[in-house]
Amino acid sequence: MQTVIEVAKKLFEEKKVYCVVGYTPDGGNKTKPFIAYSVEDTDKLVFNHYAINNLAVYLNRLTKKGPVGVVAKGCDIRAIVGLIQENQFKKEDVFIIGMNCNGVVEDKYDEFDKENTQIKCKYCNIRTPHLYDELAGELQDFEIPEDPQGPLMEKILKMTPDERWEFWKAEFDKCIRCYACRQVCPMCYCEQCIADKSVPQWIETSATIRGNFSWNLIRAFHMSGRCVGCHECERVCPQEIPISLLTRKMGMLAGKEFGYRHGMAVDQPTLVGNYNLSDREDFIK
Amino acid sequence: MEKYSINIDSLKNLVVELIEKNWNVVSSERSGIRYSTLKDANDFYISSKTKPSNISVKQFFFPKTEPLFFFKKEENGIILADPVFAEENNLLLGIKPCDAAAIPIISKVFNWDYKDEFFNKRVENSVVIGLSCNYQDSECFCTSVGLSQSSTKGSDIFFSTVDDNNFEVQVVTEKGKKFIEVNKKYFAPLENESPIKDAYPPKFEYLKAKEWLDKNFENEYWNKAGELCLGCAQCAFVCPTCHCFDIVDEDCGYDCGRRVKNWDACQFGLFTKHASGHNPRDVQTKRYRQRVNHKFKYYMDKFDEILCTGCGRCSRGCPAGINIGNIVEEISSLH
Amino acid sequence: MAEEKFEPKITAFVCNWCTYTGADLAGTSRLKQQPNARLIRVPCTGRIDPVFILKAFESGADGVLISGCHPNDCHYNTGNFHARRRWIFFKDLLDFVGIDESRLHFSWVSASEGKKWVDVINGVINKVREQGPFINYKKTNPLEVTKVDFEKGEVA
Repeated sequence: MQTVIEVAKKLFEEKKVYCVVGYTPDGGNKTKPFIAYSVEDTDKLVFNHYAINNLAVYLNRLTKKGPVGVVAKGCDIRAIVGLIQENQFKKEDVFIIGMNCNGVVEDKYDEFDKENTQIKCKYCNIRTPHLYDELAGELQDFEIPEDPQGPLMEKILKMTPDERWEFWKAEFDKCIRCYACRQVCPMCYCEQCIADKSVPQWIETSATIRGNFSWNLIRAFHMSGRCVGCHECERVCPQEIPISLLTRKMGMLAGKEFGYRHGMAVDQPTLVGNYNLSDREDFIK
Repeated sequence: MEKYSINIDSLKNLVVELIEKNWNVVSSERSGIRYSTLKDANDFYISSKTKPSNISVKQFFFPKTEPLFFFKKEENGIILADPVFAEENNLLLGIKPCDAAAIPIISKVFNWDYKDEFFNKRVENSVVIGLSCNYQDSECFCTSVGLSQSSTKGSDIFFSTVDDNNFEVQVVTEKGKKFIEVNKKYFAPLENESPIKDAYPPKFEYLKAKEWLDKNFENEYWNKAGELCLGCAQCAFVCPTCHCFDIVDEDCGYDCGRRVKNWDACQFGLFTKHASGHNPRDVQTKRYRQRVNHKFKYYMDKFDEILCTGCGRCSRGCPAGINIGNIVEEISSLH
Repeated sequence: MAEEKFEPKITAFVCNWCTYTGADLAGTSRLKQQPNARLIRVPCTGRIDPVFILKAFESGADGVLISGCHPNDCHYNTGNFHARRRWIFFKDLLDFVGIDESRLHFSWVSASEGKKWVDVINGVINKVREQGPFINYKKTNPLEVTKVDFEKGEVA
């Protein structure tokens, strides 16, 4: 099976792309994002259990200058396909180097182990990606223990409304409105975010409980049916607020009610951008 | 410099007494994410071996959101009222040197052309007990910016670990001296000195970096340095020395509102957008250049301090894995 | 001493072509309805971004009603279909965060359904009155969070 460096070198030699976005070692045992602009640069590319970042977030900007090669795991490819579904760039603009993925480590741990994979790996069925231009990397034969949504989601679903409010109030009290969740999310590409709109000011900019509730709820709502479950938002939150629970809840509803999963096929119509005459309306008087 | 000893049990009892007297006692959380005000004395946690918390101690002096004044429309006009500033006593216990040192550094900008009474009041009401640091990783570089694992800059009292349960106590300021006098039953005469730990070698020579920065604003290097930056504000918000803020008027009801001061960051796209629509820092590489220059050049030129304590929080937290210590190290070796 | 009985404040976002006209018909027919609702007229329910609902709660509403044209009757053909899908998600999100479902209501009321409008709005008001004031959201108001003494203030 070819390696990521071999594929990237081929892309530069055949002049198919002007850059390749991938991962490079960060000086420790983890990796960080890296953009290769030449055949020589590709020697720095790696792919392993520490290739955590979702590189699709860079594509909107990079594809403006020409075709881009991107190293991507299954969850990242869902984001790329999702962006194509939403007409952010065309399939021809991006060359997907799909990677066989054996799980990535939860960022707070230093060493990979089957037990400390990210929660998204625990319900992943696209370890060999569903869509790619070239496939690379070896798929190791081991089982990642399955845990569909994690213990925290289960706990919240069992709480009463008042308990849930207190839980989220305690979490949002910590939010500092750094917008790291928004900036790292590949699906948050609005040129002017509604939180930055001041005439009128819909979402309070101050990091008060009121403003934080508004910001997090509206972001989760704008992700309904669009979240691909890459977990980057939760990884980057400096206060370790479990915000991916909100966007994942919307994803669960999209699956349960409409049988929809964002980012699986390039020509699939988007969920909230469309409607069906037979949508449920039992809650409408 | 007077020295004393204190053991963990006495320290715990001191915390209990202060909480009973309605002091706000702030210490690290066991989770390592942040410092927070103790609700229960049993939650207090002090350790020199942990890595710096995700978010710094800055919020106790410069909160993430702070109302400046309130206004209300009434029949006889508009009433302006100040928020009631409670007379509080704060004890910040077990603060890392890289956090404590930030307080005198940003005090300079908050007392420059305008004295920020909110910041000053909070500093006045707080006693800072620093704690020597026994941690180091590839993101730390306090020794490259003039600090060290036992730097007392910014602390009123400084604890150095003798072992897990015993600390050597140094009095650093008058405020610290008064605090110990009032609470002297908890402090014993000096028994054992803390074993001196050699500071780890600096990662870079700051003056060489400054020399390059002074002359290379337009250098192509900046195109690569900030290329992967996503434009969030995490680095600025978790940083103990970043101090930019935004002032906005927001409502509290249909007839009243408040003017509030919130954290802001030069990494946001809108930070330098003019009312005309022009944005001098319109791409992320320019904004990243601003960050490095402000911290390592402009603040030095203006206030004679490096606007960085080398705590490494920004690098640990960066979603895109950008390590500012490595960048300044690279710069210091460029000619 | 008579205690002031709690009267809920309801914000109703209604579409111009159907529900607003239906409410107007209720008025001209002299049908009685409780006075607790404040109507906000939008061109179509498709215009409604859920951020309006949160803003209503922030501003002191105890309950919110959203009402528009029946499916297939939308003045802009498909606005209410798009809105319907959005509401399915937003309702679930609010429930996940602990906001009681009886605070947010939806209905289809056409221009000729004056009587239905009165039934719907009275029903919503009664339901919310039972729930009580929306204390959770009221406590997030900045005046509740910071102490301010307007008595000591100066007149500007």
